[in-house]
Amino acid sequence: MMPVNNEPIPIDAAAIESPLAGPVLARDADASYWMARYVERAEHVARLLLVNSEALIDVGDVAAPLLQQHWQSVLQIMNVESIPDGDDPYSLRITEELTFNTNSPNSLISCLTRARENARGIREVISSEMWEHLNLLYWTIRSTETRTAFEESPDQLYRQIINGSMLFQGLTDQTLIHGQRWHFTQLGKYFERISVTCRILQAKYELLHGADVSADTPLSNLHWTTLLSSCGSIEAFRRTYSGETDPLHVAQFLVLEKDFPRCIRYCAHQAYEAITAIRGIVRPHSVDPTERILGRLDSQLEYAQPSELLEHGLPNYVGQIMENIAQAGISVLRSFFLH
Amino acid sequence: MFDRYELNGIYDEMFAGANSPREHYRPLVEDLRELGAESMLRRRRMADVTFRNQGITFTVYSDQTGVEKIFPFDIVPRIIPSTEWTQIEKGLVQRITALNIFCKDIYSDQKILKQRIIDPELIYGAKMFRREMLGVTVPKDIYIHICGTDLIRDSNGGYLVLEDNGRTPSGVSYVLENRAVMRRIFPQLFSSYRVRGIENYPANLLQTLRWCAPPHADDPTVVILTPGVFNSAYFEHSFLARQMGVSLVEGRDLVVDNSFVYMRTTAGLRRVDVIYRRLDDDFLDPLCFRPDSALGVAGLMNAYRCGNVTLANAVGPGVADDKAIYPFVPDMIKYYLGEDPILPNVQTYVCARENDRGYVLDHLHELVVKSTNESGGYGMLMGHQASTKEREAFADKIKSDPRNFIAQPVVQLSQHPSMIEDKFEGRRIDLRPYILFGQKVVVMPGGLTRVALRKGSLVVNSSQGGGSKDTWVLEDGD
Repeated sequence: MMPVNNEPIPIDAAAIESPLAGPVLARDADASYWMARYVERAEHVARLLLVNSEALIDVGDVAAPLLQQHWQSVLQIMNVESIPDGDDPYSLRITEELTFNTNSPNSLISCLTRARENARGIREVISSEMWEHLNLLYWTIRSTETRTAFEESPDQLYRQIINGSMLFQGLTDQTLIHGQRWHFTQLGKYFERISVTCRILQAKYELLHGADVSADTPLSNLHWTTLLSSCGSIEAFRRTYSGETDPLHVAQFLVLEKDFPRCIRYCAHQAYEAITAIRGIVRPHSVDPTERILGRLDSQLEYAQPSELLEHGLPNYVGQIMENIAQAGISVLRSFFLH
Repeated sequence: MFDRYELNGIYDEMFAGANSPREHYRPLVEDLRELGAESMLRRRRMADVTFRNQGITFTVYSDQTGVEKIFPFDIVPRIIPSTEWTQIEKGLVQRITALNIFCKDIYSDQKILKQRIIDPELIYGAKMFRREMLGVTVPKDIYIHICGTDLIRDSNGGYLVLEDNGRTPSGVSYVLENRAVMRRIFPQLFSSYRVRGIENYPANLLQTLRWCAPPHADDPTVVILTPGVFNSAYFEHSFLARQMGVSLVEGRDLVVDNSFVYMRTTAGLRRVDVIYRRLDDDFLDPLCFRPDSALGVAGLMNAYRCGNVTLANAVGPGVADDKAIYPFVPDMIKYYLGEDPILPNVQTYVCARENDRGYVLDHLHELVVKSTNESGGYGMLMGHQASTKEREAFADKIKSDPRNFIAQPVVQLSQHPSMIEDKFEGRRIDLRPYILFGQKVVVMPGGLTRVALRKGSLVVNSSQGGGSKDTWVLEDGD
């Protein structure tokens, strides 16, 4: 006798064929995405703090207002409106705020806590290597030894977090099945990297304009160096464009370079690939709204003329990219995380 | 390190007399002596770091945030010889078999009540008796799929059952992790013994769960239902999901449609067939139980009663966990199986019975009084340690609500050496073996040995300063 089963369950035949197509809880996908996003954010915060502290040591006694401006741009990038008053120097209060303040949403400790909380909710589906590494980073930033060492030399901690994030990405790539969950981590990571890079470009460009420095003065060089280092791109840039730093080259490199992982076009392309793969597994025969947004962005960056970047001002150009990414983020939420 | 070890006049697991270890502990004692205090301390630190780095923690709610703590690990292993274990195993199989028949009976024909072997009033008065389950058939008639029975040893070394835990016993992940950590930090200790492996517990658990799937599911989808990351046992839920390769879901991940249960995936809804729920009955379904619970799934009970989804453990076996019904388990074994109980109960006075109540009230100073529906060491009176005032207050409570209390003589739990600072001291222990009831009954060889780490304490619960240690059951012939 045939078993009677009169309850209809729509199952996509293509979804069953792939061995990687096991069901993924919407909440798991959500947590994978945010886990990767917060690790990436922690890396950017650490790099910004590291680069800015070092750059400002180099110039020694530059004018106080300039120092102030520099640190303000950091706050602007991290979306921090104000920092607590205190007797400590401005720069110290900012590093304190963005490193250890648990109430500051983008501080390192907050980013790592949230990355870990997301990982903790899905530790049965990520690899134990990923979980243990992230757990260790979390306990590192919370330990008293770290605190003591930080007071002597803060850059140790920042380097540890930057390397920690790199190692986490490596572990993610090498220990997780490259199925849906992995694609969601890629999406989170590249969305975050694009957003922060855009914010850095905006803030630093404004700073450059305000300072009204002609290219090739020591001070302007410092600005360009800081900008590129903040995006982790200084060495790659120099290898590509040797000689003097031309503003157009900087913009062209950070926005349109296709072969360097810290550049916006590279990230946009990876994000597009990730969403295409996810859609291919989940809804093989339809077009996803996020895919549409990212596909257009990917093409726009692929065929852009370098001169377009500065036509209406770079901040304007990257502002539109940020807008695209924000919309893509909302659309991912609607398509995959809420059911 | 054993130089000033005191036997304290109770049953000691390791030593038969001063400086004379029991046969099966001899190689271990030698190895420990050879290692020395410093090496032991170093290894203990290694163990602690391992637990923390792997995030093997439980959550304590002292403030809003909840603090993650390591479950204190005592590095001296406990050893159970195979002959002893064979008896325990038989006793546990007998007990879970009788308990499952009892649950089936209580929720269907109630023969045991009609025969007056148990007073119906006790059953109907049990807080965890589920009227909703009367007349409901559960797959394969299994109510208790996973059981974690608490065993203790009296002053002669005899094993007694303290309670059965037929609802959602926890702790099994610590058993597996304790073993993994012991193998890592003390590989040499294992060389003197042939210790039975426990590592296939997750595979056995999955098999048990799949076997109980509703008949319409050819390739059943099994999930674990957790209250969420803030639950104190979250680590275990996630551990078991990882080991079995099944989804770990929260109530909000599930939805009931047309009396079937589905989970929300990135690709839409997908049917769920078996739910290993780590959520108490009260929170399972706001439409049926507590309406204010946001942890469960609306409509789940209906799907369950229709037979469209299996819950493990079933709804209802809590009635057998009631401490006033526990004293009747030996009677159940005789009635349903026609056998004599292999593992005896602790002698228990049921305050609902007039004679017992009189005795309890007269002997409060030498009894332990327990509330019938509490666990975790709460709602207890340790008569011999309490003040007159506390005893009087408790006597009033008993008189006003006798159904809610039972009393037992103080059992001097056995002691086992624990590493306290840099030397060994005796600490009280119990044992929670885990039993799986599916196509066959599988008892995990070993279990969770909990340790009352506070000196002189008889309470082993983790919420009351308890720790745990690895438990070795030896192969035949060792």
